[in-house]
Amino acid sequence: MKTMTTVACAALLSLGTAAMAPADTSDKRIALSNNYAGNSWRQAMLRSWEKVTGEAVEEGVVAEADAFTTAENQVTEQAAQIQNLILQGYDAIVLNAASPEGLNGAVREACDAGVVVVSFDGIVTEPCAWRIAVDFKQMGKDEVLYLADRLDGGDLLEIRGLAGVFVDDAISAGIHEGVEETGKFEIAGSVHGNWAQDVAQKAVAGILPSLPEIAAVVTQGGDGYGAAQAFKAAGRPMPIIVMGNRHDELTWWKEQKDANGYETMSVSIAPGVSTLAFWVAQQVLDGADVPKDLTVPFLRIDQENLEEALERTEPGGVANVNYTLEDAKEVIGGGAM
Amino acid sequence: MTATLNLLKQPWVWAWVGALGVWGATAAFTGGQGAGEVLRAALTFGAFYVIVALGQMFVVTLGPGNVDLSIPACMTLAGTVAMKTMAGAAAMIPVGLLIALGIGLVVGTVNYALIRLLRIPPIIATLSSSFIYQSAAIWWNRGLRVKPPAALADFTTAKIAGVPVIALCVAVLAVAGHVLLTRTLYGRGVVAIGQNPRAAHLAGVGVERIRAATYILSATLAGLCGYLLAGFSGGAALNMGEEYLLSSIAVVVIGGTSVAGGFANVPGLWGAALFLFLLVTMLNTFGAGAGVRMVLTGLIIIGVIVAASGTRRRT
Repeated sequence: MKTMTTVACAALLSLGTAAMAPADTSDKRIALSNNYAGNSWRQAMLRSWEKVTGEAVEEGVVAEADAFTTAENQVTEQAAQIQNLILQGYDAIVLNAASPEGLNGAVREACDAGVVVVSFDGIVTEPCAWRIAVDFKQMGKDEVLYLADRLDGGDLLEIRGLAGVFVDDAISAGIHEGVEETGKFEIAGSVHGNWAQDVAQKAVAGILPSLPEIAAVVTQGGDGYGAAQAFKAAGRPMPIIVMGNRHDELTWWKEQKDANGYETMSVSIAPGVSTLAFWVAQQVLDGADVPKDLTVPFLRIDQENLEEALERTEPGGVANVNYTLEDAKEVIGGGAM
Repeated sequence: MTATLNLLKQPWVWAWVGALGVWGATAAFTGGQGAGEVLRAALTFGAFYVIVALGQMFVVTLGPGNVDLSIPACMTLAGTVAMKTMAGAAAMIPVGLLIALGIGLVVGTVNYALIRLLRIPPIIATLSSSFIYQSAAIWWNRGLRVKPPAALADFTTAKIAGVPVIALCVAVLAVAGHVLLTRTLYGRGVVAIGQNPRAAHLAGVGVERIRAATYILSATLAGLCGYLLAGFSGGAALNMGEEYLLSSIAVVVIGGTSVAGGFANVPGLWGAALFLFLLVTMLNTFGAGAGVRMVLTGLIIIGVIVAASGTRRRT
């Protein structure tokens, strides 16, 4: 179905744009401004960018597509970086921002200088920029809805992300909304796992002894394997742990599936969303009419496509999708992927 | 009676009092359910804090301005390179350990060279060099998680009579650290330098030699911790060392070691490490929100430090 719509869309679009593609952006330069590179998700994001934009440059779609990452994950540092990119004359800046509001001044400057700004993942609120947002709240809610299908009720353990980051609040809000709506579950405990296996493992190991039997663990990604380790170490019955598309999580799930038919689901954002942002920026430069607010779909893995997803995931990495120009056009057109 | 009073004068007592207090509060809240389990978890995770804090303690004791901020990056680099080299093969476990320790040795040497040869203050030197180590770790494996050999994972998670093996090993390490600090020329030298480097120099202490050894010791212990933590948590991750920066310093200070240097103790490290873990566990168990939890963590840590430094002034 997905392929069919993609093909249909591509065919339609190519009819309309055949005359102008691909020359219009061939002299344009696009920069990636990235605030952090210190985890596997961000590394995969940068690799995807390298691969897809490298091919695009080779094919002459754009002239340059360079990636820049700040060292300290600081708003001031990234603001200075954006100002440098404006001075260097880039036509578009694709931005994963350190703060939703903190960079608005620098983004405004870029817009005033005629630079197209496309923010993704870590989006900015400045109205002149494009936003490729993730409906994190829905992601949290989907986890609970899945569990409601599987279970009659019970106690949940919630593993949250990094305190003070809006993504953490959004996913958690979705989880709590889901719990309220389904009316089946109780959140027996909540810990912060900082989206890291070892931190999650430590936090879960600490709180677990004080908890009643846990039916399921709702997570935010990057913490499921650590939770499983903690349950195993404590000798507790293994609950349904929602996974976050990391290779070690999927591998553990596969082992359990083969050993005892363990069932769960896994959901996260594909790091390749950077390449979707790249194509959106290219489309804006190309003169396409692109709405300011776009939504990127989640990458969800279920019992049926676990093996396939695991095969496509690099050992030690994150399940990923590299987006194409056609995907971008589909998202711009409001179609579901 | 005098014995109790003498004990209360020890600066490290307060960390233990704090640890027992929060443990008791957690147990009371849950009606005693799982108190033993919590303690077991605290011993396991506290062990990792103690390894890095031991090195940090010697560095801090050297006197004002001495601190090792490259511990997280060193842990990440050692863990990453060791895991990738072992590639899950049990036969390579000793090689991996040697590599991790070797990386610590090199990191410590580089740190000291920056401090001594380029005359960069230790805070700046270790912070800036940590960017290099972190980048080297990224470059080495691009953030991919390599699983540790099964035998290493089993060792780091094993228990003897309910006590985590890793905690026993680190307890032995701590005793060695205690002897090193209180019974050897090196340890007395570190304390002497912290109290007055010029007086130590005039008294014939090899100030620079000891400073070099201390930075190398700290980095080597960080390398060891990175190796064990990667084995314990199922692989090295790029952000695995992050929370060990502040906690290594916090454990040292809560344990009653003077931030101004010249005054250190090892028993406090274990007390403080257990205290830090149990504190977060207690607030998690109470169901406190993240904001409340951080405020309380800050307040309680300040309380323990004030109590500990109060006793030191009286002695």
